[in-house]
Amino acid sequence: MSEPRLYPGTGRDERTTFAPYSAFDIPADLRELHGRYDVEATARRVRNFRYAEEWMMMIMGGWVATIPELPVKTGLGKIIWECAQAANVLGERLPELRCGRKAVTASESSNEGFAGVIREIAAPDRPDQTIEKIAGVFDVLKPHLIEAYERHSRETDQIADAPTIELLDDIVRRTRGHVTWGKDVLDRICDTEGLRERRRQRGDALREMLTACGGVTGEL
Amino acid sequence: MKSFIEPNELARDSRFIRQDNVAATILSTLPDDVDAVVEALERLDPMIEKGVRGTEAEPLYEEYGPGFALVTLNEPLDPTSPSAGTRLALRMHGIFVGELQALEGAGRSLWDFPDAPWEFKMNMARQCWDETRHVQIYEKLLEHVGGYAGMFPESTFLFECACSDDPALRVAGVNRGLEGLACDVFRDMIRYAEAIGDETMRQAVDYVLADELTHVRFGSDWVKEFTKGDPERYEKAQEFRRKVDKQFSFGGARSEREDAAIPIAWEDRREAGFTEQELDELREITADGPSRDTMREAARQLRERHHARRAASAERASA
Ligand SMILES: [Fe+2]
Ligand SMILES: [Fe+2]
Repeated sequence: MSEPRLYPGTGRDERTTFAPYSAFDIPADLRELHGRYDVEATARRVRNFRYAEEWMMMIMGGWVATIPELPVKTGLGKIIWECAQAANVLGERLPELRCGRKAVTASESSNEGFAGVIREIAAPDRPDQTIEKIAGVFDVLKPHLIEAYERHSRETDQIADAPTIELLDDIVRRTRGHVTWGKDVLDRICDTEGLRERRRQRGDALREMLTACGGVTGEL
Repeated sequence: MKSFIEPNELARDSRFIRQDNVAATILSTLPDDVDAVVEALERLDPMIEKGVRGTEAEPLYEEYGPGFALVTLNEPLDPTSPSAGTRLALRMHGIFVGELQALEGAGRSLWDFPDAPWEFKMNMARQCWDETRHVQIYEKLLEHVGGYAGMFPESTFLFECACSDDPALRVAGVNRGLEGLACDVFRDMIRYAEAIGDETMRQAVDYVLADELTHVRFGSDWVKEFTKGDPERYEKAQEFRRKVDKQFSFGGARSEREDAAIPIAWEDRREAGFTEQELDELREITADGPSRDTMREAARQLRERHHARRAASAERASA
């Protein structure tokens, strides 16, 4: 008969010889339990985030054909894919938050006002509206989402909700790249005061709508 | 933003020149008859002339008349022929704008079908990125062979033929019909690159071809999924794909025929999920249309008539 397998350092008395303060605790875990959102609230917020990412992907998909500037068309291609991936990982988090297996494709607007913001962002479809299109997503919505994602990561339970924090970290990193790209495009396209004014007006109008509805989670 | 745009709404910058799609439509339905081919192209002459004005195709038009497309489409790419450079650029440019339209088509599928399953949206989003790279790759390859964007007129025939309002038909037309054609063309380009020893071209197109196989697979999967339990819709999707296959065989220019300018990439198509039955159908669909001899004779007559017209108008002008 073979000897029973014991964990390293375990004696027959079932106690190891290791001190309780192990390598796992260096550096000491300073995170505290408890955050602002419970499982249900986080699940709702993840559905809100997914709603924004999914619609951005679809809207930009529609725009590719009606934007005349070739580098803008091709720049959007990769961003569409990254929004799709963001929506996908957010969806995959939902069953882990007790929403049922089918919840992987659940998206939810926080309120009618935010759905209206998305409709307004999607509205321009003429080829002479690249400024309005790009400003809506890259000057307004994406910076707002970065703020919302970072706020969630800061305020949620740092240990219990770490999987959400991890995936948001990744999305924020990519979204920052998108915002930089959008800014470069707009800086280049808006080369007269009149065009810069169009960009400002579009941004101001959408930001006002966002504030009025409380943003992506409805609780700005 | 509205759903379901028309091909003439595809936005382009000022470098691009749009060509009327009628010419491409006629080319795809020509019979194996010299007189009929000559007559059809003579009728299109004013439109073809207008389309090439100010582009790099103008000298080709001046040389061959309205039949220049017959010469460029129906003869295999031959590195030793004197017009090899122009013809290679013409093909590169055609692929480049084709990739652009493929990007636009995949993007529109995201907007036009908001209720489609999530996995479908993921596939289309991925395809957007892939087609984006293809546009970038072919823009560079075009420069690599001495060309530039907008040097030839662009036909939106591809977008027009394949973008159905029914998602099952759209994936059948775009992802199986057109992406299948892309497999044939890219395999041919790889052979050409090998023949001229151009490793840059060979390797880039090799990667693009790998992506296109994935896109055909998306199509094969989604036609099945969208038509599950609906044999009538499945048959409609298959019929639509056959129609696209026919339209894009340019009268046998892409076929199994020995005189084909673009041979069919059987092995790549098998790997991409085409069944033997579908491949047999493709063999049949692409078999008819004008032979290369018919096209050559028609091109010769068209060229003769074109030069006669030019000579006559020069005489009138001097008188
Ligand atoms: Fe492609
Ligand atoms: Fe493709």
